[in-house]
Amino acid sequence: MTITRKALQRRTFLRGMGVAMGLPLLDAMVPALYGKEIETPVRMAYVYVPIGAIMDHWNPTYTGQLRELPRILKPMEPFRENMLLLGNLTHNGGRALLDGGGDHARATGGYLSGVQPRKIAEDSSYGDRNGKSVAAIKAGITADQIVANQIGGKTRFASLEVGMEDAQQSGNCDSGYSCSYTNNLAWKSESQPLPPTLDPRALFERLFGDDGDLTPQARDRRNLYRRSILDYVTEDSKKLETRLGPSDRSKLDQYLTSVREVEVRIQQNEKHNQQVDPGMEKPGGTPGDFAEHFKLQSDMITIAFQADLTRTVTFLVGREGSNRPYREINVPEGHHNLTHHRNNPEMIEKVAQINCYHIRTFAAWMEKMKSHKEGDRTLLDNSMICYGSGIADGNKHTHEDLPTMILGSGGGFLKTGRRIVYRRETPICNLYLTMMEAMGVQRETFGDATGHLPELTA
Amino acid sequence: MLQPRQTEKPSVGIVLDTGLSRIDDVLAMALLYGLDGKKEERLVSVSVSRANLKAAIYSDVVGRFYAGAVSGAIGFGGRTLPVGLADSGPLKEDLPFFTQPLTHMMLDGKPAYNSDIKTDLDTAEIVAVVRNALTAQWDGNTIIIVNGPATNIARVLATGNSKDWIQRKVSLLVFAGGRFPNGPAEENVKADVASARRLFAEWPTPIVVCGAEMDGLVSYPGSSIENDFAWSTAHPVVDAYKAAGKMPYDAPVWAMHAGLYAVRPKEGYFKVSDPGTVSVLEDGRTTFTPSGNGKHRHLIFDPAQKERIVKTYTELVSAKPVEKPARSFPPKNQQKPEDVKKPEDPKK
Repeated sequence: MTITRKALQRRTFLRGMGVAMGLPLLDAMVPALYGKEIETPVRMAYVYVPIGAIMDHWNPTYTGQLRELPRILKPMEPFRENMLLLGNLTHNGGRALLDGGGDHARATGGYLSGVQPRKIAEDSSYGDRNGKSVAAIKAGITADQIVANQIGGKTRFASLEVGMEDAQQSGNCDSGYSCSYTNNLAWKSESQPLPPTLDPRALFERLFGDDGDLTPQARDRRNLYRRSILDYVTEDSKKLETRLGPSDRSKLDQYLTSVREVEVRIQQNEKHNQQVDPGMEKPGGTPGDFAEHFKLQSDMITIAFQADLTRTVTFLVGREGSNRPYREINVPEGHHNLTHHRNNPEMIEKVAQINCYHIRTFAAWMEKMKSHKEGDRTLLDNSMICYGSGIADGNKHTHEDLPTMILGSGGGFLKTGRRIVYRRETPICNLYLTMMEAMGVQRETFGDATGHLPELTA
Repeated sequence: MLQPRQTEKPSVGIVLDTGLSRIDDVLAMALLYGLDGKKEERLVSVSVSRANLKAAIYSDVVGRFYAGAVSGAIGFGGRTLPVGLADSGPLKEDLPFFTQPLTHMMLDGKPAYNSDIKTDLDTAEIVAVVRNALTAQWDGNTIIIVNGPATNIARVLATGNSKDWIQRKVSLLVFAGGRFPNGPAEENVKADVASARRLFAEWPTPIVVCGAEMDGLVSYPGSSIENDFAWSTAHPVVDAYKAAGKMPYDAPVWAMHAGLYAVRPKEGYFKVSDPGTVSVLEDGRTTFTPSGNGKHRHLIFDPAQKERIVKTYTELVSAKPVEKPARSFPPKNQQKPEDVKKPEDPKK
């Protein structure tokens, strides 16, 4: 770290052996050198939940200013002024379009690109490796990567891909569609998915390791002495504190505490994980409890946003078509099986409970985002967190009127607090174009977009 | 919505964009639903270039009347095929033939017809609904019929990657508009000259024009309305016809020709010109210049076919909708849509 009498650089890192820790926005960073005001970055995240929602409990019956929210969205009541609830957006590439079954793979595989992914079973024209024919995958570059390509150079990570469920990248996961489609949300190109990091430990070390990861030696030494990652940056943080006022010292202390809390929870999960049956295969250190796993991953996204480590995140909460049971809320049946409820009221109720559970955990995250101040705004204000799914009705596998909401105003770019319903068939890519604009990326077309959504900013 | 992979090429998909300016446009719509019921085509998209919600509601009513017998192309999970509606354009006003049927009440006091469309939000964005319908068709297996100003279809042509989809999916566009070989400007062209000029200059696949010189050479007989629909206690086409003029009358037709030619191009109902190029002048007049490599042709009326055409129209429009059989799932690993060769221009 280089500390001078001038304002701290925004991209200051606390460093130690194998550790590089970004910092939240501090008063000492304002104004920056050359008398310019520091840029408050806008962050963007796409949070994908599988298999849609019980839309009768999602869609309000009104448009305009948000008032009382339907059952599933009840936990979002404290955020009514911070959110946009959008209706009638469509993912046409999720539909069969002559290609038969595979709605789940298409839902995720083309969700952020607006294209219909290609089935693998009948096409191996992409060449071969090791002398064998290799099944092709083909989708499209995703909206997050368009942004990452343009502004990713400003942060340590151009983008961050976070997940919670399934790491399988090959094989057939849905009616001839590759698992690459169900298990990845971000695609760097039409043939290059960016697998999400599922394991909290791996994500933690990616965020705070030097050059991406802690070295094996550093990790072993730290584990041997049960040392915290903070121990390695103590010297730097003490130096820094001498330059900070009381407010900044408090902010820094809160930040380091939140990092430590995440670290402790990861360690506890690693210790106790074997006692929990998640009902599915998991990496070793991954919590079996959905809410705890979500909290860890989302806390690290918050830290990454706070410290401006990245401005672009995709968060695949569950693989599309997930059959995860939710025993912690007394739903032992698989999610996917329940969504094919055939109008059975008991099954519909259980799906609604899962939807509510997802939203409760999401709302807790948003509360945290809202609690972090950045100048006159909050971290949430300076972000756009798009929560949604590429399927609306899991029973019928529909891809129109998708459940879609945005938390945060993108630094005031979006006029929040409203329910806006678009005309039928309006491509969800129109939303992505508008969010790109908020991120400073100007494009006229993307995916199957037919234009921007100017109502979001008016 | 769960759908089986289509392994056999279906009948041609029809994308209809109508101005709903006269009863002829309603009859043309009924004709296409009749042909769909006979499995000669599939009406996969309906859009209205009249920026009038009641026009969209009426189109939805007609579609629902034939529901179960016609083909929703994409799968809307319990919702009807979305009706595209222009949000602006030269046509706006209410016309009795599409407003009065909406007020038809049955003896029990209930409306004769229902619609899912209550507000503009229940209609579809034009570009998306047409483009999305194209994406669900086999290559080269779609025909677009435009019975009205070219406003909507020119917007589709100009937006995003739609042109690529048109090139890939559309074998033919049939436009009821213009006047050939010459004459004063025709209303569908005159209403939006810029869009018509763009259409003829930029449309990437063949266009067949049904000019206004064909208008009125054939009429739909009022006697058919009075005699051929006894099977239905309420019929939205009959209501529209009766609202459009004082019965009994015979309605001159023109848009119907575009629909009949599009679906049955080889059955000799009409003659077709040699290829050439249609140009639209600034005042809306149209010219046709013969050219061996031109992409345009225009229909020519054949008086010898008049009686046959009228018989065909009355049979198809008054046909009772036939319920389609339940879907079956065909075997896997059969021919893919992309493997089917694009059909040639029907005239070549």
